[in-house]
Amino acid sequence: MTHNEISMAMDDVDTPIVQDSPRRYFVRLNLSERIQHLIFVTCFIMLALTGVMVWLPEKTFHFLGSAKETVFLVRSLLHRIFATIMILVCIYHVYYLIFKAAGRRWFKDMMPKVKDINDFGGNMLYLIGFRDEPPEFDRFSYKHKLEYGALIAGMTLMSVSGIILWSEYFWDKFIVDIAALIHGMEAVLACLALMIWHLYEVHLRPHKFPVDNMWLTGVIDEAEMKEEYPLHYKKIMSDPELQKIYLREGSKGSGQKTDSINA
Amino acid sequence: MKHNRRKPTRLNTRWPVFFNFVIPAVVCFFFFIGIGYAQSDASPDEENCLICHRYPRMGRYDEAGNKRVYYINDQLFAKSVHGKLRCKSCHVDLDKIPHENVKKVDCSIKCHLKDPSSNREFSHRGMVEKYENSVHGKGVNRQKKFPEDRPTCAYCHSNRSYNPYAGFWGKSEALSRETLARCQGCHTDKAWTEKVYAHFTHRLRRRRTQDEIVKLCTSCHEDKQKMARHGLEAISTYKDTFHWILVKYGVHNAPDCITCHVPVGYTTHEIRPRDDAMSPINKNNRIKTCSNQGGIQNCHPNATIKFAEGRVHAYGTKVQLMAAADKTKVSGNEEESLLIVRAREEITQSELFHYRVLSLISLFYKIFIGLVVGFMTMHQLLVHRRIKRNARKEDAHDAQ
Repeated sequence: MTHNEISMAMDDVDTPIVQDSPRRYFVRLNLSERIQHLIFVTCFIMLALTGVMVWLPEKTFHFLGSAKETVFLVRSLLHRIFATIMILVCIYHVYYLIFKAAGRRWFKDMMPKVKDINDFGGNMLYLIGFRDEPPEFDRFSYKHKLEYGALIAGMTLMSVSGIILWSEYFWDKFIVDIAALIHGMEAVLACLALMIWHLYEVHLRPHKFPVDNMWLTGVIDEAEMKEEYPLHYKKIMSDPELQKIYLREGSKGSGQKTDSINA
Repeated sequence: MKHNRRKPTRLNTRWPVFFNFVIPAVVCFFFFIGIGYAQSDASPDEENCLICHRYPRMGRYDEAGNKRVYYINDQLFAKSVHGKLRCKSCHVDLDKIPHENVKKVDCSIKCHLKDPSSNREFSHRGMVEKYENSVHGKGVNRQKKFPEDRPTCAYCHSNRSYNPYAGFWGKSEALSRETLARCQGCHTDKAWTEKVYAHFTHRLRRRRTQDEIVKLCTSCHEDKQKMARHGLEAISTYKDTFHWILVKYGVHNAPDCITCHVPVGYTTHEIRPRDDAMSPINKNNRIKTCSNQGGIQNCHPNATIKFAEGRVHAYGTKVQLMAAADKTKVSGNEEESLLIVRAREEITQSELFHYRVLSLISLFYKIFIGLVVGFMTMHQLLVHRRIKRNARKEDAHDAQ
């Protein structure tokens, strides 16, 4: 029994037997994007853990005794290995943005527009309570674009400064000092930003706690789509070409184009 | 040694009397009772100093209120480098009991032991002369200021054998039991072999771990006031470098103080100021020092001139003084003004520029992180509040 079949079976249990129309799901991340995300998350966590060990005060790892030397050497090795993997994933992502149709769509949708500024203002008014309805978001809202932009900037700074630190003997000591400073500060910024922004969006937010499954399944259901990305929903429903890409019917799982299993 | 620099206690008026008269009386009493139990494997104590000095509690608080320990562990002493010497070879003029006019031990006197290589009386004089000319020494021709701040021989050579209360103790094992066993195949006198073996090999290995070296050096160099009156910066700048992180984790061959300041080919007794051509941290010698040629581990074997000439310690007090607005004004405080004078000589314009750039980046990031985190927290709190409010509205709607 494959994973999809299990989730299908579980869907059968959850959903009412009689339904007017088949359940519809909307693709937010395709398989490639989910794998990129998964590798990136693993690398990020490992890099943060092995990185912060450099700053730990002496007394915190006193209990390790003579093993602390080995721990440190393994830490250094792991930090470099995961950094390399992370840089490779990012290079693949750039390739994906340029040479894959899905990547080009992603890039187009991710470009900042004037609408984002209006959306931000409108959303703030809505959050404070001066408006009753939030602005209609497209595929990526200003939140996604800010986070994606921060990721690109942070990733560039971290990899450049990291590579300089890795080949320290080659550079002016002043450059190495700047790289060390930026590497540390940017790491703090990235971790704090991720904890506050991303962790809330996908973990702590009501209706999503303890975790939004979208990062594994890649799809969200129609109600969520209508509520959170109404403009994109309208675009998809009015364009059969987009429906082929973003609409899945029947069961969860973006890779399937089956008709409704409940029909 | 650290114990000796404690603040005076209130006991100091009464205790000398106690230690000078009562203790010796008690000690003599126990000596006559316990003479039959005297240990036979101790070193030959021809002068009978151990009659009194064998008691671990023996000591006193001196006039300044410092605790002095006069206990000598005879077994540990016998194993030490000086184990064959008589007490009075070094502690001269101690003929009266209780001792009067006690002089400090002078390591440069002749030992009355014959040096087997030259067949002449052995002495540390050569080493002491070199040392007195180094940055740490008191100076030979011209007397330097604050001689009491300068480490004596015993400050670093805290001969671990004499008593277990001495200052810095090396943790690393000085003997290889396996090699020693091979020596003892022919040299059957175990105690003698162990001593000679230890004597030959204790220059072959590090007696202190990297961490212990840093502790030894920082015991003076971390003291801001003491350093300021010599025009030096306190050493916290080392602990901001990656070198310290390796030492912190106890990495083998990690760079401690002497890795750079006394690399292969230099001696600890001859540490010189950095503008001296003989100094390993002089700009002309930097590449060799950074690559640690001839050392156990080549640290930065491919180091370029640009890399090696840069500043290793983090920017500290001197650069901060130079960067401060009123750097031309010398305050009345003598110690601080010496720092400013030295800073003006040592800190170059490019270093000042580097410091300013690094501070700017650091300041930018601190403000930026504050703004970003503040904005994000506010935004997410508003989102959370709105979601909760919508949910309450829906509940109210459903209830109707």
